[in-house]
Amino acid sequence: MSEDKKTPLLDELEKGPWPSFVTDMKKLAEKKPAVKDVLDQLELSYAEKKGHWKHGGIVGVTGYGGGVIGRYSDKPEEFPNVAEFHTMRINQPSGWFYTTDALRDILKTWDKFGSGLTNMHGATGDIILLGTTTQNLQPAFNEFSEKGWDLGGSGSDLRSPSCCVGPARCENACIDTLDICYNLTQEFQDELHRPMWPYKFKIKVSGCANDCVASVARADFSIVGTWRDTLNIDQAEVRAYANNGYDIKGMVVEKCPSNALEWDGKTLSIKSEECVRCMHCINKMPKALSVGQEKGATILIGGKATILKSAFLSWVLVPFMKMEPPYDEVKDLLRKIWEWWDENGKMRERVGELIYRKGMRVFLRDIGLDPVPQMVAAPRANPYFFWWPEEINK
Amino acid sequence: MSEDLRAKVIEYLGKVDKTKTRDMADNLKEKKSDVDKIVKELAKEGKVEFLYIGTSYVKLVK
Repeated sequence: MSEDKKTPLLDELEKGPWPSFVTDMKKLAEKKPAVKDVLDQLELSYAEKKGHWKHGGIVGVTGYGGGVIGRYSDKPEEFPNVAEFHTMRINQPSGWFYTTDALRDILKTWDKFGSGLTNMHGATGDIILLGTTTQNLQPAFNEFSEKGWDLGGSGSDLRSPSCCVGPARCENACIDTLDICYNLTQEFQDELHRPMWPYKFKIKVSGCANDCVASVARADFSIVGTWRDTLNIDQAEVRAYANNGYDIKGMVVEKCPSNALEWDGKTLSIKSEECVRCMHCINKMPKALSVGQEKGATILIGGKATILKSAFLSWVLVPFMKMEPPYDEVKDLLRKIWEWWDENGKMRERVGELIYRKGMRVFLRDIGLDPVPQMVAAPRANPYFFWWPEEINK
Repeated sequence: MSEDLRAKVIEYLGKVDKTKTRDMADNLKEKKSDVDKIVKELAKEGKVEFLYIGTSYVKLVK
């Protein structure tokens, strides 16, 4: 029986001054046989340098195609308690704000129906609950549902939208990230729960260009707060920085990526038309500089990790969009993008990869957006303008 | 129209083990968005389930 197995390789991970997941799991294994089998299977994987989890298949709850990830041991005879060890994803609240009561409530249900193991949080933001049986999926979901929780996305669907803490805790937030995230999540329930697309689609919302949820690197569709008037400068606070010996020229002005700032030793001024709203100067002098008054968001498209193509950073798609409830403009844009991607995308092709394959100008034409200079990453080397074939025939 | 398509979708799903809705729409010569709408209804009724093998497929609940 697996109870007698030793775990010398895992035991090594308990040594040293740091907290150890092995120690935590051993403690949980005293009351959860599945966790003991997870440890023993992991020990075997370390010894053999080979994974023993199988992934996928049919698992889910009635009406849902996402939110449950099938996980099976490929050695069910040896580790019977993890023969089925499925993952459930619970859609996180906007900005990951919980009460301790809410967290305890989640864990109470998970302790009842699952292994008790959690991952707070997954890369997309969901509360990840690791390890339950097929039989327990529906009752676990029913109880979570009764408590007001819902599953997140998985597979070829909209993944749970996520956002930074935004205006709840950050003075730089140019948009209400929490409300946008919640509103989009409610609007696109079908897209979130019933996978119909070529592959996954992630939406992330950041309140400013500091991009604390790393939307530009990780999201197919990034909503990043910005402003279109001018940076606010409090000259008295600027001088206070200078009087305290802060190197405004070296630390701020010379590091401005678009040379938009000037400092004459008394006054800091900005050429707004040159400013790219990167947040560097605001981060360096937060008491003196702040975001502008006319706020909205820049919409970017195509970020992702390596899949069919290499990792992509997002491109600017809409330089400035006002972001006010009910957010119809951004919702209409999302629907157009999804329709185009769904119509043209190959299996497992992210929207950024499809744009790369077909070309940005085809994408822009098909979704009805005009090209603007802010979409261009670098000046073109090719001087030729390419007409559409139908324009030549006229 | 919707009832016709619903019948066609159920008939198609009855003939295959699993399918992508894209392939189903192409084979039925229907718009994918229309097929997706029917599949979503069937899923909510518990008549269709989803499976994941590298990407998501749909199949009739046996």
